[in-house]
Amino acid sequence: MRRAFRIETRSRSKKDVEREIALHLELRAKEFEAGGMSPEAAREAALEAFGDRMEIESEVTEIHERAVQRQRSQEWMGELRQDLRIGFRMLRRSPAFAIVAVLTLAIGIGANTAIFSVVRSVLLRPLPYPHPEQLVQVWTDHRALGRAEPEWLAPPDFIDLRDGNRTFSAMTSYSGWGPDLTGSGDPESLTGMLVGGNFFSLLGATPALGRLVGPADDDVGAPPVVVLSNALWTRRFGSDSSVLGRQITLSGNSWTVVGVLSPGFRAPIQAFTPEIFRAIRRPSNSTCGRGCVTVRAIGRMKPGISVGAAQADLDVIHARLAQEFPQTNAKVGAWLVPLHEQLTGPSRPAIVTLSIAVGLVLLIGCVNLANLLLGRAATRAPEIGLRAALGARRGRLVRQLLTESALLATVGGVVGVGLGIAGSRVLATLVPDDVRRVQDIGVDVTVLLFAAAITILSAALFGVFPALHSVRSALAHAVRSGREGTSQSTSNTRRVLVVVQLAMAVMLLVGAGLLMRSFANMLRVDLGYRADGVALTAVTFPGARYQDAQAVTVGMENLLARLRQNPAIRTTEITDLPVLSIGGDQDIAPIPLGEPANPNLPPSLWIRSVTPGYLKAMHMRLIAGRQFTADDRQGTDLVGILNEYAAERYFPGKDPIGRVLLRGSAPNAPRVTIVGIVATGRADGANAPLKPEIFVPFTQRPARGVFVVIEPSRDLAAATRAFAQSLKEVDPLIPVSAMLPIEERIGSSVALPRLYATLVAIFAGAALLLAALGVYGVMAYSVTQRQREIGVRLALGAAPSEIRRMIFLQGGRLAAIGLLVGLTLSILLGQFLSKLLFGVTPFDLPTLVMVPTVLGVATVTASWLPARRAMRLDPVAVIRQD
Amino acid sequence: MAGSDLFTGSLDLLLLKALSWGPMHGYAAARWIRVSTKEGLNVREGALYPALHRLQAKGLLAEEWGITDTNREAKFYRLTPAGRKQFAVELERWRDYSRIMNMALATTRSGP
Repeated sequence: MRRAFRIETRSRSKKDVEREIALHLELRAKEFEAGGMSPEAAREAALEAFGDRMEIESEVTEIHERAVQRQRSQEWMGELRQDLRIGFRMLRRSPAFAIVAVLTLAIGIGANTAIFSVVRSVLLRPLPYPHPEQLVQVWTDHRALGRAEPEWLAPPDFIDLRDGNRTFSAMTSYSGWGPDLTGSGDPESLTGMLVGGNFFSLLGATPALGRLVGPADDDVGAPPVVVLSNALWTRRFGSDSSVLGRQITLSGNSWTVVGVLSPGFRAPIQAFTPEIFRAIRRPSNSTCGRGCVTVRAIGRMKPGISVGAAQADLDVIHARLAQEFPQTNAKVGAWLVPLHEQLTGPSRPAIVTLSIAVGLVLLIGCVNLANLLLGRAATRAPEIGLRAALGARRGRLVRQLLTESALLATVGGVVGVGLGIAGSRVLATLVPDDVRRVQDIGVDVTVLLFAAAITILSAALFGVFPALHSVRSALAHAVRSGREGTSQSTSNTRRVLVVVQLAMAVMLLVGAGLLMRSFANMLRVDLGYRADGVALTAVTFPGARYQDAQAVTVGMENLLARLRQNPAIRTTEITDLPVLSIGGDQDIAPIPLGEPANPNLPPSLWIRSVTPGYLKAMHMRLIAGRQFTADDRQGTDLVGILNEYAAERYFPGKDPIGRVLLRGSAPNAPRVTIVGIVATGRADGANAPLKPEIFVPFTQRPARGVFVVIEPSRDLAAATRAFAQSLKEVDPLIPVSAMLPIEERIGSSVALPRLYATLVAIFAGAALLLAALGVYGVMAYSVTQRQREIGVRLALGAAPSEIRRMIFLQGGRLAAIGLLVGLTLSILLGQFLSKLLFGVTPFDLPTLVMVPTVLGVATVTASWLPARRAMRLDPVAVIRQD
Repeated sequence: MAGSDLFTGSLDLLLLKALSWGPMHGYAAARWIRVSTKEGLNVREGALYPALHRLQAKGLLAEEWGITDTNREAKFYRLTPAGRKQFAVELERWRDYSRIMNMALATTRSGP
């Protein structure tokens, strides 16, 4: 459009200039002619005297055009200044409107900016590695064995995949490592990783100091070296560069520090933040072979290779392994997940839901403002009409109104960005650690551009239509000086807008209702273990000083004995893996001895080693059989207690007590006699699926890393002190970890659902408030419009209560339509939410009852004031008025 | 216009002077300059036009379309109040300048 405009001015200036010069040449030729030249020669002489005509013409045109443009832009700026001045004056004259508008926009834009900062960081920004699109998480596929989730890899399988593929430029394995750091300062349990020699090069990591773990470190017999994370180097070694080459003691063994990672490095793992790394150095055939999945793997695909092609490549290798090792690999495959999806996928549904929620809030806010502006159209009609009469073009009048909207939007946007930055900071602390470990959340240039874009979009959304409408109706008003027609169309438009608002608010209310019900369901779920009154802390008996199972058992029993003597502690038990730990050891394909072949056996059984009183201390209910006793120890028959879920699957329809389970498919797998059945607990939290579990006596399956469960006699603080004291007496080199009440573990497992439900509820509340304001605006306007009619009715003897009923019915009709549309859309969009719901379907009856109720109350409240005003109208005064 | 080359700014000054007589179109202004300098300046007549338009863009001249004596439609230039003021200033500057130049160039001794 601007282009066409330029061409037009240019051709006009050019024509003027040509005319001017043609006249000059003509008059000059006449002069020569008068001097006695022939007309021909005179024209020649005139041209000769003039100089290069073409060049001068184009030079002059250029000057002319530039002048015209400068003048235009000056006019435009002048008009803008004038519009802004009028706009400011109008807004100052109605401060309530201005404040409501700015706040509505600021909240809408702020909420969207804050949520977008999460969307940008988590969903949009590439992972912090070179060519992140080439990275995939490599899993084992156990779906043919009935396990829905992807599984870790058995080291021999990993080596076959790594060395046999043709589509990866590199593949690396890793697993967790939890060494205790002793020596200078208090002993401390570190979180670390065992990594393949090519782990860091595959991820493009760089050292801040020294070198990283490399392929040579992976050889069996290579010197023991570790690499520190930048955080650990700062925290524990004061960023001292002389740490290079230093010997440190980890779980009793000596390791040499060879490097420190750069501060920007993020390990591609969600569950924890590793601080120390060493080579995995796993012998190619580990003791439990292809049945034991003990490592995770990441691959970097060659450039241009698709995930599908890589998957097909690994499928070929797995098909070969299935033939070669039918016992372990018959039903096992590869399962590739793009690393970005792997690390951010779980939070996607929640983030998308929140984005939709804030988007709706902003939309409702814009509709509200459009509605308010339409309402002002009536009051401003005289002013606009006057300006039109004074010669303002329609375009100028519309521009004036749009400038006012832009003014509101700009102020709202600026305040909104401030709110958004603050909101983003708060959100960053609320977003789950596993997301924040991979990407920082914050406001960057992209987020600011987004905020600017939605500000402009909002201004267009709420400004353009009312501006056109106001000017049209004001002009019509000026011409016809009758108001019924135009105000009728205004109120129809406003009713439609209110219905749209109500429908969107209903969608948010339904979403909030469903999420809150899910959250309530999670809290109500019977976990199958006690949810309060005990606390847990981790202890590791390092291999260097506790070389065999015997030594670990002795150390553990020493600790228990001391703790039990202490009056501050009522009960204390030990397990290798408490509830809500996620993961742990499992037996792959255990076999119930002497049972008929059963294709529906669970693929694996999760094992927990426990001391005899553990189940009782945790309030886990024994359904059948007996608890463990001190007689179930090393050397006696192996015994186990199944949870009910496992018992029903391994021994369907039978009493499992006294029957034997082979813990694994290998011929020499341990034979465990089932002595009891315990009620199934939700080991991974209220919203996680049930798992088959077997509990075995700790002494028959000791572990170095354990959790001590403590029930305090009086208060937790005393018990914590008692524990620290006892542990120091048993072994002063073992670090004391934090003592966490079980409430906190349970709390963090429902923290996210609570966060989502709370945020969506806040947004829904804001939406409802805005929608109610919209209803109020329309009803109040309608009463003003109809006051003559109402006056006549009252004069003819209608009771005020009838008038009130009429107004309420009108509001009710709007609410009913909005409700209908909103509920229909909610049901259509319910699928979006289903991943976030727990124990609730999108057709949840209580929610579907709650939403109309809330909406009804809001509508009645919003109609109340207008209805009261209608009832109190003085018929005589109103009828006389016209 | 054979003769002397123009000093910078002198064409503008001549145009302002021409128009100080009253509104005229480009040809008339050119003719006035030609006649009043007795064709003593070495400048193409066409060069007038960029100068006129530049003065107009600066707001020193205003344009109006009118009818010539020969009944032709033509663009007339007229001094704006700003143009009139500018003319006075420029004229004063030119007089100072030429007086100083004349004085200096007329000196016959090499030292004080």
